[in-house]
Amino acid sequence: MLLKLAWLNIWRNKRRTIITATSVFFAVLLAIIFRSLTDGVYDNMIHNVVSYSSGYLQIHQKGYWDEQSIDNTFEEDNQLYEELLKNPKVTHIMPRLETFALASYSEKTKGVLVLGIDPDKEKEVNNLHEKIVAGEYIEGINDNAVVLGEGLASQLKLKVNDTLVLLGQGYHASSAAAKFRVKGLVKLGAIELNNNVVYMPLQQSQAMHGAENRLTSVSVMLDKASNLEDLKHTLLKSIDADKYEVMSWKEMMPEMDQFIEADSTGHYIIIGVLYFIISFGLFGTLLMMVFERKHELGILIAIGMKKRLLALVLLLESIMISLIGCFTGVIAGILFIKWFTIHPIHLTGDLKQVYEDYGIESIIYLSSHEKIFIVQTLIVLILSILLAFYPGYKVMKLKPVEAINS
Amino acid sequence: MAQTIIDAHNVSKTFNPKTVPVHAVQNVHVHIEEGEFVALVGPSGSGKSTLLNMMGGLDEPTAGSVIIDGVEITELSENKLIDFRLHNIGFVFQSFNLIPVLTAKENVGFVLQLQHMPKAEREKRVLTLLEEVGLEDKINSKPGELSGGQQQRVAVARALASKPKIILADEPTANLDSKSAANLLDIMAKLNKEEKITFLFSTHDQRVIKKARRVITLVDGKVASDVQQIPS
Repeated sequence: MLLKLAWLNIWRNKRRTIITATSVFFAVLLAIIFRSLTDGVYDNMIHNVVSYSSGYLQIHQKGYWDEQSIDNTFEEDNQLYEELLKNPKVTHIMPRLETFALASYSEKTKGVLVLGIDPDKEKEVNNLHEKIVAGEYIEGINDNAVVLGEGLASQLKLKVNDTLVLLGQGYHASSAAAKFRVKGLVKLGAIELNNNVVYMPLQQSQAMHGAENRLTSVSVMLDKASNLEDLKHTLLKSIDADKYEVMSWKEMMPEMDQFIEADSTGHYIIIGVLYFIISFGLFGTLLMMVFERKHELGILIAIGMKKRLLALVLLLESIMISLIGCFTGVIAGILFIKWFTIHPIHLTGDLKQVYEDYGIESIIYLSSHEKIFIVQTLIVLILSILLAFYPGYKVMKLKPVEAINS
Repeated sequence: MAQTIIDAHNVSKTFNPKTVPVHAVQNVHVHIEEGEFVALVGPSGSGKSTLLNMMGGLDEPTAGSVIIDGVEITELSENKLIDFRLHNIGFVFQSFNLIPVLTAKENVGFVLQLQHMPKAEREKRVLTLLEEVGLEDKINSKPGELSGGQQQRVAVARALASKPKIILADEPTANLDSKSAANLLDIMAKLNKEEKITFLFSTHDQRVIKKARRVITLVDGKVASDVQQIPS
């Protein structure tokens, strides 16, 4: 009865209801597009960064992250690989041996990050081979050659086919020294990485460090970034937790997580202002609905309707108007995002250059994570409930005689 | 012997007591017995609507008490009073009595829904009531599709829905033409006679006054006369 009454009441003044619902519609649609766009950009940025560096998740020997030494490596474990790959949320795994060394060429010497990688696996994930700007990409895990960041090569004044000498600490305090032909140069978006990295086939790196079959980490790539925490917890249960530690990119790169958090705060403020503005429209409509029906509300109280039921009818009216706008806004948002998922925005001109310089794909993908729609619906629902409080309070204070005579 | 159904005992109502006091009703004693058909008359501002509202529990007296069917309604909490009205008193107001978005059937059934009456029983009762007021062919009409007289008849049907012992009507014929007013009064008189429902009208409509068996006249918030008469 109350639902029917509320539904019929909101259509008494069709124009006003449509205008109010339309304002909610546009607020929800804009908020969805805005969140979808920013989340899409963040997801793309995270994917690009983690695929070159940590992966979404990384598995180390327990204690490695606190003391990042080659002595805290672990032996390659096929059982671990199988355990990881059988999880449907895991798309790729990348075994790595990550060390630091001094790199020398001619009279120049520089501290570098030496990444022992499986070139084929890396290729699948981050298209490293497509970043080659001179020479060629390393082939296979035992190719006796290295690929350098373009920035590092420039600092060492080194070209393709020159010989790079690496000197570092090996496994169990042995010395690690070797020379390698520079097979190619890669241009990486992350400047830090571009100026410091040496990519080397995994077996060569293991041999150089006297750490045969040993790894510092296995990086894990996911089907969806949003599965990060779920997968982390699953892995912590499925692998030997006494032997390994599982860390997410957020723990390994807290500065990037904090940047996204800080940037998001600004977006939340913009969306907050948007909702604040439409709240006034909705509030005005609700107040009008009370004041113009005061006589009728008085009659209803007189014939035996409890005030709290009347306040509930008003609350339902508020929720109904809001949800009409909200649901149509969500549907329009889904259609909008669907369209741009099929036809992503390809950046052009200077913006494209900026993205590519930072090693980020110059395509804007819109995020279609269900959280975006759920959050907007919840915000509108909560707003409509909060806004109905004051009109509800007015009803609770209504004196039947005064209301009937109004 | 008929029982006292309404006992307004030494009732007073003062508006704006702290600023410019207006004594709308002063020390009024009125006893109305079950089955009476009473007109409360008097010039504008005499306090008849205020007294009627206090007798219906819509307004609180400044002093005195109102007892309806043995229950002192002036002592009831707001929620209990609303419940009491729902089950014991029917109201008919001057105009705009009905919920405009509901049909005649739904308007009458509304009170029964508030009483949680099962649907089948409710529908049966609503149809009976609308037949009683001669609107069986208008059950699905909304108030906007009914004439003023028809709307007041729906309001009477709604007032009767909860089988109250009393119906209070505040100027029910004020906005009606002669034919509609006569028709409405005939229905009320018939209900009074056949179902022993007590009717109390606040009115200055001569058509209502002539139908009443008892006329209480208020002047300046006090009972000036209280006479029995033979209705015409």
